[in-house]
Amino acid sequence: MSASARILDQFARSNGSAPMRILGASGQLGYGIPTPAFSAGLERHPHLIGCDMGSIDIGPYYLGSGEMATAPASTKRDLKKVLHGALKHKIPLVIGSAGSAGARPHLDQTLALVREIASDDGLGFRMAVLRADVDKNVLKAALKTKGVTPIDDMPALDDQDIDAAANIVGQMGMSAFQRALAAGVDVVIAGRACDTAIFAALPAMTGFPVGLAMHMAKIIECASLCCLPGGRDAILAMLDHEGFELDSMAPQRRATPVSVAAHSLYEQSDPFTVHEPEGRLDLARATYRAIDDRRTRVVGARWEDAREHWVKIEGARKVGERAVLLCGTADPKFIAQHNKLLKEVEIVVRDLVCEDTVEDYVLTWRVYGVQGVRMTPPVAETPPPEVFIMAECIAPTRERAAEVVRTTKQYLLHHGYEGRLSTGGNLAFPFTPPEVSIGPAYRFNIYHLMRTADLVGLFPLEIETL
Amino acid sequence: MKLQDFAQVVRSKNAGPRRFTLDVIFRDDADYRRAVQSGAFTSKKIAPLYGVAANAVSVINYPLGRAIKIVVPRKIMSGDPGDRDVYGAQQHTPLLELEL
Repeated sequence: MSASARILDQFARSNGSAPMRILGASGQLGYGIPTPAFSAGLERHPHLIGCDMGSIDIGPYYLGSGEMATAPASTKRDLKKVLHGALKHKIPLVIGSAGSAGARPHLDQTLALVREIASDDGLGFRMAVLRADVDKNVLKAALKTKGVTPIDDMPALDDQDIDAAANIVGQMGMSAFQRALAAGVDVVIAGRACDTAIFAALPAMTGFPVGLAMHMAKIIECASLCCLPGGRDAILAMLDHEGFELDSMAPQRRATPVSVAAHSLYEQSDPFTVHEPEGRLDLARATYRAIDDRRTRVVGARWEDAREHWVKIEGARKVGERAVLLCGTADPKFIAQHNKLLKEVEIVVRDLVCEDTVEDYVLTWRVYGVQGVRMTPPVAETPPPEVFIMAECIAPTRERAAEVVRTTKQYLLHHGYEGRLSTGGNLAFPFTPPEVSIGPAYRFNIYHLMRTADLVGLFPLEIETL
Repeated sequence: MKLQDFAQVVRSKNAGPRRFTLDVIFRDDADYRRAVQSGAFTSKKIAPLYGVAANAVSVINYPLGRAIKIVVPRKIMSGDPGDRDVYGAQQHTPLLELEL
């Protein structure tokens, strides 16, 4: 019997009397799962291990390029740990947003690692694979029927954006995971997914109140981040029909009512509402009570089913090739005039590299020590003693971007200006070459909601036996 | 008094690629009430710190977490050419100087 069938059967027999224990093993699988807390969690006999593996926060590069943000070796180590844990205890392992961004190449790299582990360690199991790639024709059809709407003032979508996107994914909700679990599997690996769905799908399909299951999921998807002090150790949630309890598997991490409540703020623009494809989580009446000094009980979340299904979709397109110049200066005269000098050098460079061709690149300066980080300039009382300068070029080709930053390096180094004393050079290079070709640059060109009447077709399920 | 000498947590992060969400969390209920009553946390006072229009900024009081949440639009979307902070984790800094 598969792990999911066993657990579903167990809860069907219990008639709602038994609580469900869910282990939130990792909020970022691939960056290391602390073993002591994970092992402590397994000793509590959880009914499911869930791991989130991705996010949109890491920027458009990974979605666009198809690369994973985590290193293959550390990703394999984490996968191995959770696979062994789940198979040993005969409980389902559910992983969402595989490979950082959850598109086909990310999911395929993750599956390749899982197959490698199965083969290395002689493991046999049934695996559900849920894909999250949105077919361009499906999205275009939705666009035609006014079934696409921008999120947060994103520009309206058109067919050109759709064609230009390197990868497009939709965030699947709990219904996709429920199809996978209902198919009788030991492991579920999903492409881009709502982080909540990973943890809420099983309890919601076994009759637990969806609002509570979803609220619990929202908290444990970040492992012990809801604790004081927050951390990435595994967390155990115990869910019953009236509420749930949170218990970090790292003894030094305390889930307090305030720390847990404050976690509802994290990475959310509204602390009272979470939108999911299948409905809306309402936290307005949620309350948090201490069980002891390191465990908290939460009640009161409500769930409202959606009348129509809207899926969050994400797409990234290539905008060019990126190269950077890395250098610093400690010269007070240069630092005092840097704004003017950088502009002068920009013009010198443009006149040189565009002598026989068009201005086909964008050069951006970041002057660390002055304003490299903030969106608005900080109020500086005195000029900084040193600054770090990064010139970034995005151009149509790798060669062109390299040409622009190499030329920039030379003319910034030797740029003459009023009052200059340092005629040997304006810059310090920590190493040479100080110019680095980074590779392709991407931007998010799709961040929209798409209406669908076919969640099943959008997130197809495949079953693989290893 | 400056916010950095008063709050327990002042943090920022993306809430999606087009918004910064800033959370200010206080040590106890008295500090939280004092901050709310100070009148410092209004969209009109916070908007200039981020160079955006006041009606684009939202301020949400969250007593359960002894927290005030502020949501600010990003002028450059996360990871777009010219962005300075892809994760948005360092955009709390203008708030540190906020006078209560």
